[in-house]
Amino acid sequence: MAHLVLAAYRPELIPSFTVIGLVLGGVYALAAVGLVLIYRVSGVLNFAHGAVAMFATFTAYEVSTVQGHPGWMGALAAIVTGAALGFVIEWLTIRPLTGRPALVKVVVTIGWLLVLQTAAGLIWGATAYHRPVKLVSGSGFHLVGTDVTVGYDQLTTVVVALVFALAVAALLRYTTLGNAMRAVADNPETARLWGINVNRVTAASWMVGSAMAAVAGVLITPLIAFDTFSLTVVVINAFAAALFGRLSSLPLTVIGGFLLGMAQTYPRMFSGLSGTADLVTFVLVLGTLGILFRPGQRKVRVV
Amino acid sequence: MTRTTASMPQGRLIKPPSLLEVEHITVRFGGVRALDDASLRVNTGEIVGLIGPNGAGKTTFFNCVSGVLKPDSGRVVFDGHELGDLPPHRRSRLGLARTFQNLQLFSGLTALENLMVAVDARSQRGMLADAFRTPLARLEERKAEERARAVLHFLHLSDRADTLAGDLPVGLQRRLDLGRALVGRPRVLLLDEPAAGLDTRETAELAELLLRVRDRFNVTMLLVDHDMALVMRVCDHIYVLDFGEMLTQGPPAQIRQDETVIRAYLGEAVV
Amino acid sequence: MSPGLRRGFLAVVALVAIVWPALLSDFSRSLATDGLIFGLIVLSLVLLTGFVGQTSFCQYSFAAVGAFTVGSLVAGHHWSFWLAMPLGVTAAAVVGALVAIPALRLTGLFLTILTVAVALFFDRFVLAPGTWDSYSGGLSPWVVGRPAFLGVNLDTSYRFYLFVLGAFALCSLLVWNFRRGKTGRVLRAIRDAEIAASTLGINLTAWKLAAFATSAGLAGLAGSLLAVSVGSVSTGGYDFIHSLGVAAVATVMGVSSVASAAAGGLFLVYGPEILRRLHVSPQWFNLVTGALLIVQLIVTPDGMVTDVQHKLQHLLQHRAARRPARAGEVDLAVAETPAGARGEAAATRPVRTGGAQ
Repeated sequence: MAHLVLAAYRPELIPSFTVIGLVLGGVYALAAVGLVLIYRVSGVLNFAHGAVAMFATFTAYEVSTVQGHPGWMGALAAIVTGAALGFVIEWLTIRPLTGRPALVKVVVTIGWLLVLQTAAGLIWGATAYHRPVKLVSGSGFHLVGTDVTVGYDQLTTVVVALVFALAVAALLRYTTLGNAMRAVADNPETARLWGINVNRVTAASWMVGSAMAAVAGVLITPLIAFDTFSLTVVVINAFAAALFGRLSSLPLTVIGGFLLGMAQTYPRMFSGLSGTADLVTFVLVLGTLGILFRPGQRKVRVV
Repeated sequence: MTRTTASMPQGRLIKPPSLLEVEHITVRFGGVRALDDASLRVNTGEIVGLIGPNGAGKTTFFNCVSGVLKPDSGRVVFDGHELGDLPPHRRSRLGLARTFQNLQLFSGLTALENLMVAVDARSQRGMLADAFRTPLARLEERKAEERARAVLHFLHLSDRADTLAGDLPVGLQRRLDLGRALVGRPRVLLLDEPAAGLDTRETAELAELLLRVRDRFNVTMLLVDHDMALVMRVCDHIYVLDFGEMLTQGPPAQIRQDETVIRAYLGEAVV
Repeated sequence: MSPGLRRGFLAVVALVAIVWPALLSDFSRSLATDGLIFGLIVLSLVLLTGFVGQTSFCQYSFAAVGAFTVGSLVAGHHWSFWLAMPLGVTAAAVVGALVAIPALRLTGLFLTILTVAVALFFDRFVLAPGTWDSYSGGLSPWVVGRPAFLGVNLDTSYRFYLFVLGAFALCSLLVWNFRRGKTGRVLRAIRDAEIAASTLGINLTAWKLAAFATSAGLAGLAGSLLAVSVGSVSTGGYDFIHSLGVAAVATVMGVSSVASAAAGGLFLVYGPEILRRLHVSPQWFNLVTGALLIVQLIVTPDGMVTDVQHKLQHLLQHRAARRPARAGEVDLAVAETPAGARGEAAATRPVRTGGAQ
């Protein structure tokens, strides 16, 4: 089936690939944490997560690359768009489905994936290559004592991803909203009895989670073939990281993100095949699904 | 009838004809022992009762016998076969049927279809025969329907044959659940709280029905229920389960006066 | 609907389906042909989702397996279509069974994740440009000619349409036979209560595998036919968004009846065409599909065609009810059930009783 091209394997490339893997992992972790946040609070696995990230990122592209405004303004536009999309999806199409099976809500998000994907294709072109959103200028620096070059954009990506992940952790732990989110995640009915406005908290989780996807999208533009579909797929990869965290643990999700980034990067030293990274993701998804999500309680034999 | 105590089934010289033997079953959920060395025997033609307060492990016991749950230790012997790791559908084919406390009817199928499925489950016919409606398929189909209708008639459900199971009132759903287990002509029928959700009159009717079922279908029964009136009325022999252990056993008259049983039940004030 | 009425209705539908396309242009006829082929994919979901209750967003990937098998064998190795097609169906069924193995342990959400992952995996890896290069000889697509059927060359669009119509009718009949036979009962039983089904003696693993494989095989047949209809097979035609789109349309139309399969297929093909006529880019179609999916899930949970069917049957039942009841026809059920409960049941689930739509 797949014909594998053995790209020249050179051990001295390992550090550079590690850097790429870390950067990729940071982005996955960020997007996955947003996904898990939405899932834990609202019970909906948002298949539109990648499309939201993509759409928001393209507003950043519009603002900074096309219109020529500074990179941070583009990033801001992306965050606002992401949050707004998250809010609209939840408020307009998820909330009316309260009480319906979780699967129905999931399929609704697949509808949104189609809508956003097509809309972005119509606005910005479905396959055309786009110049990335530049957040920082300058090329990069040598890592002390080695000949490994780290790009400033790569550094920015990792730092911003970590800062955002920590910020969300702080939000959940130290703020009233965060406490409310955790309460709703544990049990919406009890949270309601405590006087928590469950609707508002759910909407907030969608906004925060989607904004995180938007940031992840903007950060990754310099690293990938930047078109509407690839970007969506990249953030869909975050699903593998989220599954690794059992869709509940944020620290495990972050670890999963970095693992995925590494696991996708290293094989590229050996294979010139474009789909290798996706093969890795697929295997990871299959593995986590098979190992972690056996239905029923312990020992109950269902099949 | 001589009967050895359940806790020491070995060392007997003469085996009475017991159809179902459960020996030393233990099930742990995490650190909790849901069942602790529980044993039980059912002889051919008997109706045996298993009683105990809520959470005593009755449903867990049932799940072990029907193969839904695998016990940590102990064994289930049915008609001389050790069931071991046999999955539920294989146990069913040996002649072991069960009903469910929470019914588990096929709510999107009609009453008739619910019973026909039980016949279907035993037939060897695959999808191909169905796809082309071969003569064999048509014949089996007609036979399955006849058998299902006969059971519906026996249960006085004939006029509801085409009603969706999910739309039946609870009392009739219980009867349908019983019918579904009976259609396959099982040799042992496990009844998991058949009186749950029924009022006094309906429970009395159920008791009569169960006795009729035993005579008509020649089936041996193991019955779990809280409802002492039902258990005392129909059972030949009763086991008492408490906190996962077999507290005592004996004929109804003896159990009724047993001190330990009364004490175990006082907490619940059921008796 | 009474059997007589249904038979008459089917006869009219068959007549229209045979005669009407004869009056159309070649182009419209080929659209109708593709519509029926896509209808087969939707039909495969009727079997899987409608009966067993398993979701799948990767039916189009199974279709791709069929198309690629036919493409490589007919164009690459000069096989006869009639040998390649069964092989395409088999290959799709095998892939379907492979997907089903992890799917056996998964339900609901996790099954959805799995099938979406499979669809994405096909888009990004299996069908990615590059993966097949060494095999198919580069990016140039395989060219598949029209076969002959019983000595009749299917080279005109009307003949090929009739052939596809025949295939669709045959498959619909198969699914319909499943539905009213043992298969349908067993699969729906598994959908409603898995554990109860297994304690009755139903081998869950075997039946679920069979359902997945059969459903994938149907999709594979659709793919094989699509290869012939389009005349070529290339990687670009089977992308992720289309996979989701097909599943979305199936959901919109409702996955419980054969009628929605036909409607879904025709919608998938005529939708973009209608947009083109309105001077709107057909690219908008997936946006419309997505939006319809969202609206439909909120407004008509069972799907649009199913909803219309329910309303129609409800109407017919009301007509019947208005006729004076003869002696002996008194409904005992009404007397026994509390009025409120019955009214509610009738309002929420008016039909489905007879089983057949």
